[in-house]
Amino acid sequence: MSFMERVIEVVYNYSPMFLEGLKNTLVLTATSFIMGFVFGALIAVGRVYGPRPLRLILASYVELIRGTPMLLQLFLVYYALPRIGIILDPLIAAFLGMGLNSAAYQSEYLRSSIKAVPRGQWEAALSIGMTRWQAITSIVMPIALRSSIPALTNELVYLLKYSSIAYFLTVVELVYAGKIIGAETFAYLEIYTIIAIIYLTLSLIITRTMKNIEKRVMIPGLITPSARM
Amino acid sequence: MKDVVLRVENLWKSYGTTEVLRGVEFEVRRGEVKVIMGPSGAGKSTLLRCINLLVRPDKGRIELEGDEVFPHPSKSISSIRQKIGFVFQHFNLFMHLTALDNVRIGLIKVKKMPKEEATRKAIEALEMVGIGKELWHKYPAQLSGGQQQRVAIARAIAMEPSIILMDEPTSALDPELVGEVLRVIEKLARNRTTMLIVTHEMGFALRAADEIMIMDNGVIVERGSPEEILRNPKHERTKRFINSILGRVA
Repeated sequence: MSFMERVIEVVYNYSPMFLEGLKNTLVLTATSFIMGFVFGALIAVGRVYGPRPLRLILASYVELIRGTPMLLQLFLVYYALPRIGIILDPLIAAFLGMGLNSAAYQSEYLRSSIKAVPRGQWEAALSIGMTRWQAITSIVMPIALRSSIPALTNELVYLLKYSSIAYFLTVVELVYAGKIIGAETFAYLEIYTIIAIIYLTLSLIITRTMKNIEKRVMIPGLITPSARM
Repeated sequence: MKDVVLRVENLWKSYGTTEVLRGVEFEVRRGEVKVIMGPSGAGKSTLLRCINLLVRPDKGRIELEGDEVFPHPSKSISSIRQKIGFVFQHFNLFMHLTALDNVRIGLIKVKKMPKEEATRKAIEALEMVGIGKELWHKYPAQLSGGQQQRVAIARAIAMEPSIILMDEPTSALDPELVGEVLRVIEKLARNRTTMLIVTHEMGFALRAADEIMIMDNGVIVERGSPEEILRNPKHERTKRFINSILGRVA
């Protein structure tokens, strides 16, 4: 049997398992990205416009997350929380850990975009009588979000790949699914090749989609890192 | 006697040890156009920014239509700013919004006007400054400097403020675009829009200003009708300043 035939056979026999893995990978990536985005935006706004004590707390959070491995953060969520009576489903624990992790990174991307919005935009918003909150939501964030799209694309692709460490919390994502199939068939080379192709395809789709979104919301005269390249 | 729209009393501001405003005092009456001139570093921009509280003064008193603005605002700062139009040197149009949306957003978000009414008002303002239909849906980066500044003026007038402050509205423009903006401001002056304008445009000041105030070193050193100030300045500092501008033009 040729390599290709074995690949086809594995896919054919174990497609439900691959689909289960794919589903969990996608769910983890999407939910943790969204959670990271919402909290990341709040952290970024808090760090730029908030009072000093809040800025310090948020900055400490970001440094804590960036200074420790994500795997350790997942373990803390999964194994330490039960000590205080919080027992989580592995998938939920992975989603929480990855979301909290991504929030720190996304906040940094958004924060640098917010700071890059020219000061005159903020002053003009206030000068027509907008409150600070209106100036942030109607003027600063719409501009900052557009210029963060390339950085957020990177983050999304990272999350897609890093969701594989949910394996260590026994979440049956793509890599774990491969491991299970491998234990039954020993066709490791074929299985991991298939999985690599799935990841590659997904990340290409994400990059393409984000590029399209970027093009659709792009405003003449707005410089983003990718527009500069 | 016409009522006082803006009253500034003994206004002081310093940055660190540099005193930028040192006891500025003047008032602007309804329908009046006052021009402030003076060398750079005189405190003109800081004065305008203090009036709408983009910069917080250290000491003094500001009143708008009898309501205290500083030191104890009688209303929220944002509702005070609604009544003070501001035109910036570098236009500062919202870069992610079209010309029409730039004018409309304040009406919708700040004045809570229904969208149709806001659109009508915004179009009225754009027509007032000579921005035609073909430019309404362009983004700032697609407009010339003169067009951008006229949209910025429309954004200010659409809010129907009690006074409009302009901070060197033509000094960032290419020379051939200055005229179109000055003509719009003169039109506002003819319609008796109350304005306080920092500018070095002598011809404009002669045509449109009711009074010129010369600022130097944080104080108003001389004030009077444009004729008096430009043709027969009394103060030595004013003479030197006027000559330097005329020298530059000649």
